[in-house]
Amino acid sequence: MPIARFSPFELLLLKSRNQADTAGLLLLAWVLASKGHLSEADRQRLTDLARDFRHGHELEPVIEIAAQQDLGAIQLAAEVMQKDCGGEQAHPFLRQAITLAVADGKLTSAHHHILRFLADLLGVSPPKFAMLFTEVAGKEFTNPDDPSRTGYWQAKERHRQQQEDRQRQHQRSHDRQSHERRSSGQQHRQHSGAGGSQRQHRQHSTQEPPPGDRTQRALAILGLEPGASRSDIRKAYRRLAQLHHPDRFFAEGEAMVASASQRFQKIKKAYEYLMEAS
Amino acid sequence: MRDLYKRLGITPQASDSDITAAIEACEHTALKADASTVLSVKSRREEYDALHATLRDIGLLRARLGLTHGRYWQDSVANDFSLPPDNTCSRHDELIGRVTHAVTLHNRWQRWRGPWSMVGLLALGITLGVALCHWWL
Repeated sequence: MPIARFSPFELLLLKSRNQADTAGLLLLAWVLASKGHLSEADRQRLTDLARDFRHGHELEPVIEIAAQQDLGAIQLAAEVMQKDCGGEQAHPFLRQAITLAVADGKLTSAHHHILRFLADLLGVSPPKFAMLFTEVAGKEFTNPDDPSRTGYWQAKERHRQQQEDRQRQHQRSHDRQSHERRSSGQQHRQHSGAGGSQRQHRQHSTQEPPPGDRTQRALAILGLEPGASRSDIRKAYRRLAQLHHPDRFFAEGEAMVASASQRFQKIKKAYEYLMEAS
Repeated sequence: MRDLYKRLGITPQASDSDITAAIEACEHTALKADASTVLSVKSRREEYDALHATLRDIGLLRARLGLTHGRYWQDSVANDFSLPPDNTCSRHDELIGRVTHAVTLHNRWQRWRGPWSMVGLLALGITLGVALCHWWL
């Protein structure tokens, strides 16, 4: 009777001096590989981590298996980890996983879900894992973003646009400064230069008016005069939000609800913008 | 995250025209709006697909590991990716089974003095062959 061939990871496990460590290494490599590719820095990080492990075999095959996202191997590793180190024993491993996941600065959604999965696998309760995460990463462990919703993309693109604006403004002020430095005597020329760059800026992005304009429009949406205080803005927002809340139009059909929710969104955005700006 | 493909009734590999048709045919307004925001822009769809693949993998792993009712999973919007628990045998048990089988075969081989019996059989075959040739000719 023939036996099915042993997969590379099974052979590694059989050779390993400590199965839990081999499995842990594979899961850590999986955390790294889940963003699509393994950079040199990632490999280096993993090699550094592996020094404290007692696996006693080469690291390269583990990384290769993880890079292929071989689900069978990952499942086997998960089973070994579940069997050998659950509960308190899993904390060091989870710490390492968190360190690797936040090594690039921001925790991506994929990492987020994988960390949740690992915590669940090893029987670490959500509050405890959140505590661990805060300890290691210095940040709250919040709910993951949801890219299947429109709001996520709106927020993301707004954020990107704001950053670009900031960069452009920075660039502009920088240009102006250098202009001033270069031609301190030629006031007239400098003026026309600044005007030209502004015009260029307008042409480049016709749909987004300069910030002062946006504030005015937001104030107009809330029916306020320029120079309104924060409490005024909040009061106006509450009143309008109550008036235009989509739930009020539930009885009048879907179309009414849709139009109300559009108005409500507009009001809410204006309010959020003003609150951020002031 | 919701599985937009599943909710629209298409596969993740569907072409752009299929997706547009499915969105047109969808009767749920909110889903329609979200699906057209996410799936009709190429860069957004790519990012969504990457996360979708990860979540599908995790869903499959959870099903195989018996974690479909995990605490971090059930109450989140990831429900779209929960599969029914499946009955495939645990990978670790399977590995142990195969190793045991291999060990049994190996032991049997050793017990019957496998290498010597192979050599003996070979020698017997050769002598038989030679004898047969002699007798024939």
